[in-house]
Amino acid sequence: MRTLRSVLATLRAAVAEARANPGSFWTQVVTMAVNDLAWVAFWVIVFRKVGTIRGWDRDRILLLFAVLTTDAGFVLGVLANTKRIPEMVRDGELDAALTLPTPTLPHLLVRRVDAVNIGDCVFGVVLFLTLGHPTVGRTLVYVFGSLTGAAVMAGFLVAIGSLALFTGRGEPGELGLHAIILLSSYPVDIFVGATKILLYTAVPAAFVSAVPARLIDHVDGGQAASMAGMAVALPLVGWTVFTLGLRRYTSSSLWTRA
Amino acid sequence: MSAERWAAVAVSSEGRRTLSDRSALVVSLCFYAMVSTILATLWRTAAAGHGGEVAGYTGRELTWYIAMSEACTVTLNIRMIELIGQDIASGGIAVELLRPAPVLWLRALGELGRALPRMVACALLGGALSWLTAGPPPHAGTWLLALPAMLLGVSVNLMAQHAFAAIAFWIRDARSTWFLYQKLVFMVGGMLLPLQILPHALRTVAFGLPFMAMAYVPARLASGHFEPALLLVQAGWLVVMAAAANAVWNLGQRRLQVVGG
Repeated sequence: MRTLRSVLATLRAAVAEARANPGSFWTQVVTMAVNDLAWVAFWVIVFRKVGTIRGWDRDRILLLFAVLTTDAGFVLGVLANTKRIPEMVRDGELDAALTLPTPTLPHLLVRRVDAVNIGDCVFGVVLFLTLGHPTVGRTLVYVFGSLTGAAVMAGFLVAIGSLALFTGRGEPGELGLHAIILLSSYPVDIFVGATKILLYTAVPAAFVSAVPARLIDHVDGGQAASMAGMAVALPLVGWTVFTLGLRRYTSSSLWTRA
Repeated sequence: MSAERWAAVAVSSEGRRTLSDRSALVVSLCFYAMVSTILATLWRTAAAGHGGEVAGYTGRELTWYIAMSEACTVTLNIRMIELIGQDIASGGIAVELLRPAPVLWLRALGELGRALPRMVACALLGGALSWLTAGPPPHAGTWLLALPAMLLGVSVNLMAQHAFAAIAFWIRDARSTWFLYQKLVFMVGGMLLPLQILPHALRTVAFGLPFMAMAYVPARLASGHFEPALLLVQAGWLVVMAAAANAVWNLGQRRLQVVGG
């Protein structure tokens, strides 16, 4: 309970910091929404030309994009430090956090809010409500898919970013971030063989967008259970890798803000 | 030191810096391999399910198109506009004004030097991946034409980004504008898709904008279309963009106010 209170207090401070310059905050939110509109235009143009691609049509790809912008926007916006773990390790930003009487990982994850990606999250919700044919049932599945997708993505980013604690290098984290965002932006069924297996395992991009999008269209108990399982497993993997790696962390002797 | 010597130093020193930072080069090549493979797979799958071609491009042509259009874009730092804007807003650029050479040209040439090794590496990697996944280039001659087109395309993009980033002289916080610029390159520049796929009205607009010179032209040539006149179009846009960047930077530098030291 005390941990939850401290995490919420840290999150409130991070939101206040992000909104300290309201003009800049809203400019970034709106810019990202316009940026996302360009992607919507891309998919509309593609499917206007080709009709369907391996069972994916315009409506389903927009559903995929709504889920992706919602869950990735939440992770990269509200838990912005998930993408900065290698950088924080390199710059010694863990030092100050380690002195606090709160669990290090939750504190770090909510310590920074990125307005740009909040725009993504808002866009995703608006896209679903406008073009996702929302009904009560579909909305519940959308919320479930977005939350579990966010958990999968956050867990993966923490795990891959925490490799920097072992290797001292940030490249795996950077490539992992690129890979999961890129691979979850496209219909999973265009891939075959080993690549497709990769998307359900080592880089679980399918669980960030494609599986939730399919679930919204067609609820399937088995897929929902696998989604929930991944949403529990990936954060556990992330937590474990970070905790083990933290034992090897050596200070950079730089004083940073907690 | 003469202006020519400054230019040579800017290009070569930044080029050497790119080569010495092996891990950054590897990351950008891996990113390029991922994004070009995914997009090419999408278009090949679309062509296969659409009678073998989309808007006159076969699956093989689309693969070579995407390899080149992505190479032209990935070669440059995607956040260059943001970084230039930060230097202007923070006043960091004031130090560069002390050099006996124009800031704009030194910066642009430095970026070009930084891009050259990545350009060569992406062209080689993209060629190898396309050959492996879709077969040899549709037309060897036009692929060779695509190489100078790539250099011209990157140069036009470079000058346009400097012209665009100079908005920071006026609005200070130009951090997010790079998103919008990149989306223009992605869509009306033909990076994500050949311009022939766009709806008629948008296609007409796209052909009249400088963004087509940045990705579409080199990619069109790499996909086997013998249209050498496109190189002249690129050269024209390079002159226009360089003049625009020069004019905007000259105006902007007069407005620069730096507080403190």
